Amino acid sequence: MARHFGVGSRLARGDGHGGSAIAQTLRFASVALYAWSFLRFAAGAAVIAALLLIATRVSAAEPKAGGTVTAIIQPEPVVLTSALNSAAPTGTVSGNIFDGLVDYDFDLKPRPALATSWETSADGKAITFHLRPGVTWHDGTPFTSADVKWTLENVWKKIHPRNQLTFAKVTEVETPDDLTVVLKLSQPSVAILSSVNSNGAQVLPKHLYEGTDVLNNPYNNKPVGTGPFVFKEWKKGEYIALERNPNYWDKPKPYLDRLIFRVIPDAAARAAAFEKGEVQYGVLSPVPLKDAKRLAELPTLKVETKGYEWLSPFLFIDLNVDNPQLKDVRVRRAIAHAIDKAALARIVWFGFGEPASSPVPSTLKAFHDPAAPAYAFDTKQAEALLDEAGFPRGAGGVRFTLNHDYIPYGDDYKRSAEFIKQALKRVGVEVNVRTQDVPTYTKRVYGDRDSDVALTWFAAFSDPQVGVTRVYNSASIGKNIPWTNGSGYRNPEVDALISSVQGEADPEKRVADFRKLQQIVLTDLPTIPLVELKFFTVHAAGLKDAVTTGDQVYGSLKNAWFETAPAQN
Amino acid sequence: MIVVVLGIATINFFLLHLAPGDAAQVLAGEAGSATPEYIATLRAQFGLDRPLWSQFLSYLGNVLTFDLGWSFRHGMSVGRLILDRLPATLLLMGASVGFAALAGSALGALAGRRAGSLADTAVSTVALLFYATPTFWVGLVLTVIFSVWLDWLPVGGMTTIGAGFSGAAYALDVAHHLVLPAATLGLFYVAVYARLMRASVIDVQGRDYVRTAVAKGLRSHRILRRHVLRNALLPVVTMLGVQIGSVLGGAVLVETVFSWPGLGRLAFEALFQRDLNLLLGVLLCSSVVVVVVNLVVDLAYAALDPRIEVA
Amino acid sequence: MALLDFGAAVARRRPRAAADGLLVRLLARPSAVVGLALLAIVLVAAAGADRFFPEDPLAMVALPLLPPGEDPAFPLGTDMLGRDIAAGVFHGARVSLLIGVVATLVSLVIGVGIGALAGYYRGALDRALMRVTELFQTIPPFLFALAIVAVLQPSIPTIVGAIGVTSWPSLARLVRAEVLKLRTSEMVEASIALGAGDARIILRHILPNAAGPILVSASILVATAILTESSLAFLGLGDPNVVSWGGMVGAGREVLRTDWYVATLPGVAIVIAVLALNLLGDGLNDALDPRSGRR
Repeated sequence: MARHFGVGSRLARGDGHGGSAIAQTLRFASVALYAWSFLRFAAGAAVIAALLLIATRVSAAEPKAGGTVTAIIQPEPVVLTSALNSAAPTGTVSGNIFDGLVDYDFDLKPRPALATSWETSADGKAITFHLRPGVTWHDGTPFTSADVKWTLENVWKKIHPRNQLTFAKVTEVETPDDLTVVLKLSQPSVAILSSVNSNGAQVLPKHLYEGTDVLNNPYNNKPVGTGPFVFKEWKKGEYIALERNPNYWDKPKPYLDRLIFRVIPDAAARAAAFEKGEVQYGVLSPVPLKDAKRLAELPTLKVETKGYEWLSPFLFIDLNVDNPQLKDVRVRRAIAHAIDKAALARIVWFGFGEPASSPVPSTLKAFHDPAAPAYAFDTKQAEALLDEAGFPRGAGGVRFTLNHDYIPYGDDYKRSAEFIKQALKRVGVEVNVRTQDVPTYTKRVYGDRDSDVALTWFAAFSDPQVGVTRVYNSASIGKNIPWTNGSGYRNPEVDALISSVQGEADPEKRVADFRKLQQIVLTDLPTIPLVELKFFTVHAAGLKDAVTTGDQVYGSLKNAWFETAPAQN
Repeated sequence: MIVVVLGIATINFFLLHLAPGDAAQVLAGEAGSATPEYIATLRAQFGLDRPLWSQFLSYLGNVLTFDLGWSFRHGMSVGRLILDRLPATLLLMGASVGFAALAGSALGALAGRRAGSLADTAVSTVALLFYATPTFWVGLVLTVIFSVWLDWLPVGGMTTIGAGFSGAAYALDVAHHLVLPAATLGLFYVAVYARLMRASVIDVQGRDYVRTAVAKGLRSHRILRRHVLRNALLPVVTMLGVQIGSVLGGAVLVETVFSWPGLGRLAFEALFQRDLNLLLGVLLCSSVVVVVVNLVVDLAYAALDPRIEVA
Repeated sequence: MALLDFGAAVARRRPRAAADGLLVRLLARPSAVVGLALLAIVLVAAAGADRFFPEDPLAMVALPLLPPGEDPAFPLGTDMLGRDIAAGVFHGARVSLLIGVVATLVSLVIGVGIGALAGYYRGALDRALMRVTELFQTIPPFLFALAIVAVLQPSIPTIVGAIGVTSWPSLARLVRAEVLKLRTSEMVEASIALGAGDARIILRHILPNAAGPILVSASILVATAILTESSLAFLGLGDPNVVSWGGMVGAGREVLRTDWYVATLPGVAIVIAVLALNLLGDGLNDALDPRSGRR
């Protein structure tokens, strides 16, 4: 079963938002490097690389209209509006119903969507969006600047879990006319422009939400958006059906007539459904990794690792610095030396990942510091450090025992934990792996701080400000806020750097700050980066242009079309 | 009945409150990140900030008035969520138990009539093998054989989504989807019924009145039908009632493998989402199903055996 | 669970089977012999695991996903992490049997206790205890076990506890029925007349005479517990620190399509053990039944 603990999917959580570097990217023009580095890494696994090349070749043929895509959604979403819940499955469905102000290309540059253009004032304290004329909500009401203003003031700043921070510096929203929105800021806020796609900042229809209890508004479950597909039906536990929006602004898109998301809890069953052609699209690594390699060799299917650039996920362990052994930095370094990250990526992740050296993944070329302290796989060094720290091997060759909790998102994470257990056993550290469900895990790591070694993954996002700094920010320690500082690491210098990057408008200064941050945290090592994960999308070979944006995982299938319609089951 | 319901509500309420973390935290965790204010808002909205005894009393009060409460997770009333899924569960349960009882009884009768023969051994062994094999493994293998290789049956789900069938076509479509899950769940119980029937047949065959019938020269299949089967059915029917709870539990596995939208999966997910109202609702509903099925079994028993009156 | 009730239904026998003749009668039945032989294999595997495979069965010792027979050092191949499947199957026998036996003991303590008290004292106590039994019987046992393990966190003790706590009701009913029957026997009435204490009567006179059906049920309960553990592991609720058959099958299902042996070989071990215990249970049932000699 899916298994899995938790609700059975390897990815129950959204994590896909956050602030980021789009604004920077604009100023830097270092954008192309993203794609370049991505390709370089993909080359690590031959099979994947080959696929990538085939799949990314832009189809030259003329798109054909018609057809139904049956996609996989797992686990089943809670609501269908990302404005209220940024979980992954919600984002995947919702991205087809709601357009964002922008979407992001593979280089993470914003492209016009509901906003046709935007500009930041010279002092960085005002951002203006010019909205697309003639866009209507699915119920026919025109889409205007009032919708954006209302959503920002009432949803993003009040309810949305992450945007409360991202939009914290917005003091006022002006709407000089129906198609212009001006955000007035107390301080420059670089992160905003990297977070205004359909997932990061979803605009809700003011006329259906104003004056209601937003969290319990019935339209959360039957959303009315502006996007390429219109919500039709949600049969709980079975499927969510969307239909083509005939009045979509980007004519002749969308090409598909219908889009159906099916709930399939078991990973092996998902693979079988792909194989049989019952489903044609699934994001966030919908089948077991080993099956992905098998499916990739079938002529009917494609496995694609693009479309996750906006996430840049990485796997790491938090070491509890309050633990009597782990509070010694030598022990933490010994653990880093004891784990063969390359083998972890190759064996446990079947090549769908690369060894990570820094909490800022190498995919974020501008911010990643290749010169930060590294810890090569070296068990002798690890043993020497442990001896030096005063933990000699005792009875049965055991130095001490640690509890290891892993994020219960599926077997890959469990196997990673088992791998770490064996790796540490080799240097005399006994590891007790603990299985639990998600609420227990987050409470244990982020609330009770009752874990010694905790395995998890975070999305770094295109700007480490949101994705990476939360790992080290001491403000959240022990507050029971999921996916924050799990190691208990407190360093005033790091906290100062984190607050500095938030209000800093100078891109070079921010990069310098981020590099300094990496130097410090990789020296102190409260967390050990393990693997830069590569999530993948599986889609039918006949479904063309299924992956066209860097945030495709939460984007829409408006560009997708069938070369050959699938046999309807 | 009321005592049973209250007991179940109490046991589960406190068991689930032992679980670390709550629904607000699950939602916050899935959201990727959250502020303490956001979590507090959710908690207040779900009523999780009230003292435990107050939550418990209001829950019991609701249950007694047939109000199963509200699932904050799904934004729907628990009653409606359960009613949506109940038909799928009853269908799967009925089909698998029916399959198991029919196939098992037939095989058992065959084996019992020729106790000790090669056929007897073969039937018993095969049935036992299915009993001893983990259900989910059987399900996965059947999927590979019948869906992927032979392409006879769909991989999972309950209907062909968007096909817009109605009437007989719809029923046929559902039946098509039902075959594999029902067979998987049923195969586990075939052994039970086969062995039960076999034992009954052997037992009854040895009774005096059957021997008398044989002595009177009645034809053997007639004896089998008139005397042996009728009596042998009694324990089979009893077993139906006893097993229903176990079938409901086993359905979690089958629903997972075959994406069958039933109550087992709903309960399983509610457990991990700390959707307490929903989980309690499903457990209560399952118990009611068990009680009702047993009542029906009692009635059937009376019909089969005129000597017994319904108490 | 299922076959246990079958045991209850068919095993209502006179407590006449003397222990000395039991083994002889057991050995006269081919199915029981097969069951005993299979069980012996499992027991030898469990007992000899350390001798045959002294290494930690969780250790990563070879290339991952070696098919069986490819490398003579790993006759059953290796799993996704390069662990020796043969070592896992042998060491897993211990854990799976341990889970089965201890869970059954828990179940026996609760079930026999409640059944004996209810059957012996009858009246209000009987009604109260049977109400409790009914309560536990109406909650689908697997769902209940799932909830307990999820709440208390999966580990061998919680898995064993959860299986034990959810599998006793039918045993309680069986024991109660036996006790009710024996309660009125001459032997028991004579003991009461002689002024023997209740505890003594229950423990010395009643339960030993009900041992046959209880033993049959217990053998089936062990088998069921092994199956339940594998189902829990399939749903992600296994203990990753020890190697059990259920855990191996659960972990291997992801590669069932590409590397069949990872899930299938430990699955075969489960089938053998469950089969053995059921055949043995049948054999015991027949051997304890004086009437079955007729056929």
